[in-house]
Amino acid sequence: MICAPLMYIVYLALSADSSVWSRLWNTRIPELLFNTVSLAVSVSAGTFVLGVSLAWLVVRYNFLGRQVWEWALVLPLAMPTYVLAYVYTYLLGAGGPVEQAWQIWAGPEGRVFSPHSYAGATLVMTLDTFPFVYLLTRAALLNFNLSYEEVARVCGASRLRRMLTVTLPLLRPAIVAGLSLVILYVVSDFGAVSLLRFQTFTYAVYQQITGRYDQTAAGVLSLLLVLFALIFLVIERWFRERSRFYQTTGRYRVPARKPCGPLGTGLITLYMVVVFGIAFGLPALLLIHWSVSAVAEGAVDVRFLGFMRNSVFLSGLAATCALLIGTPLAYLASRWPSRLNVLCLQAAYAGYVLPGPVGALALLVLFSHLAPFWYGTAVVLIVAYIVHFLPAGLQTMEPALQQVTPNLEEAARSLGLGPVRTFRETTLPLVQGGFVAAWVLMFLQCMKELPATLLLRPVGFDTLAVRVWLEASEEYYKLAAPSALLIVIMTLPALLLLVSKDWRAA
Amino acid sequence: MKPIGADERTAAQEGSAHSDEQARPLVLELRKVTCAYEVGRAAISDVSFSVREGEILCLLGPSGCGKTTTLRVIAGFEPVVGGEVYLKGQLVSAPGVLLPTERRRVGMVFQEYALFPHLRVSENIAFGLRDLPSVQRETQVHAMLAMTGLTGLERRYPHELSGGQQQRVALARALVQKPVVLLLDEPFSNLDPDMTRKMREDVHDLLRRTKTTAILVTHDHEEAFAMADRVAVLNNGCLEQFDTPETIYHTPSTPFVADFVGQADFIPGTIANGKVLTEIGEFPNQGGYQGGASVVVMVRPDDIHILPVEHSGARILARQFRGSENLYTISLPSGRVVHSSETSTSVFPVGAPVELQIVATHTVLFERKQTQELGA
Repeated sequence: MICAPLMYIVYLALSADSSVWSRLWNTRIPELLFNTVSLAVSVSAGTFVLGVSLAWLVVRYNFLGRQVWEWALVLPLAMPTYVLAYVYTYLLGAGGPVEQAWQIWAGPEGRVFSPHSYAGATLVMTLDTFPFVYLLTRAALLNFNLSYEEVARVCGASRLRRMLTVTLPLLRPAIVAGLSLVILYVVSDFGAVSLLRFQTFTYAVYQQITGRYDQTAAGVLSLLLVLFALIFLVIERWFRERSRFYQTTGRYRVPARKPCGPLGTGLITLYMVVVFGIAFGLPALLLIHWSVSAVAEGAVDVRFLGFMRNSVFLSGLAATCALLIGTPLAYLASRWPSRLNVLCLQAAYAGYVLPGPVGALALLVLFSHLAPFWYGTAVVLIVAYIVHFLPAGLQTMEPALQQVTPNLEEAARSLGLGPVRTFRETTLPLVQGGFVAAWVLMFLQCMKELPATLLLRPVGFDTLAVRVWLEASEEYYKLAAPSALLIVIMTLPALLLLVSKDWRAA
Repeated sequence: MKPIGADERTAAQEGSAHSDEQARPLVLELRKVTCAYEVGRAAISDVSFSVREGEILCLLGPSGCGKTTTLRVIAGFEPVVGGEVYLKGQLVSAPGVLLPTERRRVGMVFQEYALFPHLRVSENIAFGLRDLPSVQRETQVHAMLAMTGLTGLERRYPHELSGGQQQRVALARALVQKPVVLLLDEPFSNLDPDMTRKMREDVHDLLRRTKTTAILVTHDHEEAFAMADRVAVLNNGCLEQFDTPETIYHTPSTPFVADFVGQADFIPGTIANGKVLTEIGEFPNQGGYQGGASVVVMVRPDDIHILPVEHSGARILARQFRGSENLYTISLPSGRVVHSSETSTSVFPVGAPVELQIVATHTVLFERKQTQELGA
């Protein structure tokens, strides 16, 4: 069931008439490919510089407020791309505050770059995704064995040579894994590029479905997108695997942090303030400001509560179903890793390479053919959520189950408990924490999901995420703010949960 | 039985080593070195010793005694707050003076080897040879590979090697630079026990063949005795004794050293008529203590022999078969316990009454209050 959408996309694309292929090849594909690739490249470059430099500063230097910044720099992940994109369409838009500020200096003809551009998309995506690189690089730096640098010193290497030939190469797997996540995020993102009207594969698939009703063409584009995403998923896995060899086991010493003088502290703090401010602080303040005035104008009414109810209802149902489906998968694979069981688990991860619009397209077509009576109901949407977010849930559930050694269950059995009581009294209490975390994660992912909801929701059944997007595309900034703020606030605990799990251990 | 000749041989060896030492130049000298990680809490204090060319020195002590700190001071990773360190006659460390590690030409083998995981074996070994032309570099790396028995593994990555092979690469990487002195930080602690003995022999042989001056840190006295020309025993950041392994074993200068480098029993006694009177017999008063003074005599299991007799206050409490010897635990009439080492084939039943024979060639005496901190 989980794999069906992916297979269907492949089938749809390959069965397409060759004329569709050649038409797309001659018109849309080169442009889309160029846009998607160049966006991925520029965002990678941006996140590399920001992520690595910030991680280096917080791990290797000691300055006032370091611990606060260490946490704060993760917060941009709590901001869905469409929220950040919508804030920036206001900030950088014609007549927006940035342009006004610029005109004071450059005269009334001064113009800033439009947010609806390559540069705008790059800026928004970079600010939203650099924490991936930051987090992984930081973890690798914290795990870094000082002996490597000391050995290099004993071998007579200068400071620069040590950094270039020892430290950076040893961080390479972590950095590449982080960049792969960033690229995966960029190519499958729909919210930001659609609001910024930047033509990438996801946006084009959406347009083919809604504007042209051309499902075959959408299928072709989807296949290319899936292939693209798959490449980076494989790269990320490969480098994570490799990074195992780069970690030292046993006893080792961690480099001491270098204390900073007042000047150093000032410069570092300025850098952190600027990055954090434009990525999270300023947008968050703006959202709060808009929300306050929107509430004063009476925007939070019965309708708003309805959207909230819809969001919570859908997400809760989807997360619960996903947990019920995921438990046997994870349990079987960790206890009896036969080929079939492991294959089932791997198949569930397929949802990862299905960007929102693509999964939605597949389900749209599948349901309209196989079960037309469900078409246009919330059932389709819930299935879409499960397909998309079950992998994330499984990643949390699997380690929790693996921590419970079979010996514990065997001990319970030897003490006279039946299999059901063993599970209820031994396994369940031990995995509870992990499963609750998985549920929370899936719930919140569903809350902020945009493209599939847009395409599959029953008529008139809007969620918070959909409202943000609809309001923002019409440039009703204030109206979109309460929903957006609510999403950001609800995402924060999940983010902290995710990060704190391997914060120091990482 | 310990033949008297053993001691004569030891003395003879010491003599020859002594005359040999005069010929060989000093490579490293520590003069009253003090090092503190935190102000007011010295990790090592007033440590002085010197190493001559080609010598192997062991820094021996329990964990936290400052032996690794001493090594890091020599390598230049830690600054000193007092004293001086000389390397080949050049002052390299003193308060306010710190020649950076990269200019000291020391080699170092870390406890966990710290092989660069992103470089192949040959690249790891060649890391410190950057200034040489590539042909020369190649030749040296190959010579080193052959010498350490790593030929054929040069294209491998560190994670594809066994523990022993990794250690050899770490050694090769340090030796290929022809260091002034090679520093080894607990090099055998990450190996399987049966591997350790073989590696000790190999490393000892390699250091001798390359005439390398080496300092080895260890907490294992057997390792120190097997490897070292001289041993420095450290405790709580202070140098307790600096001598040949034989002297350290037979005539330890403090109760701590006596207890740390092997099994030792401390028998209380008093001085009377120029002799030490104890529960197990009389000993000569070699310490020159005043009459009536309270002292303890240190005896090692190989100084005590037992004979089964009909009646005696001393009984065998337990026997531990160790392959090459039998170690007996004997309870004395007072309840005190001493140990005796007998040959592998001398088997007596537990509970049998025995008579003790002391065959020590030299008596080691300490003041009684000195041993109290050991709990003896």
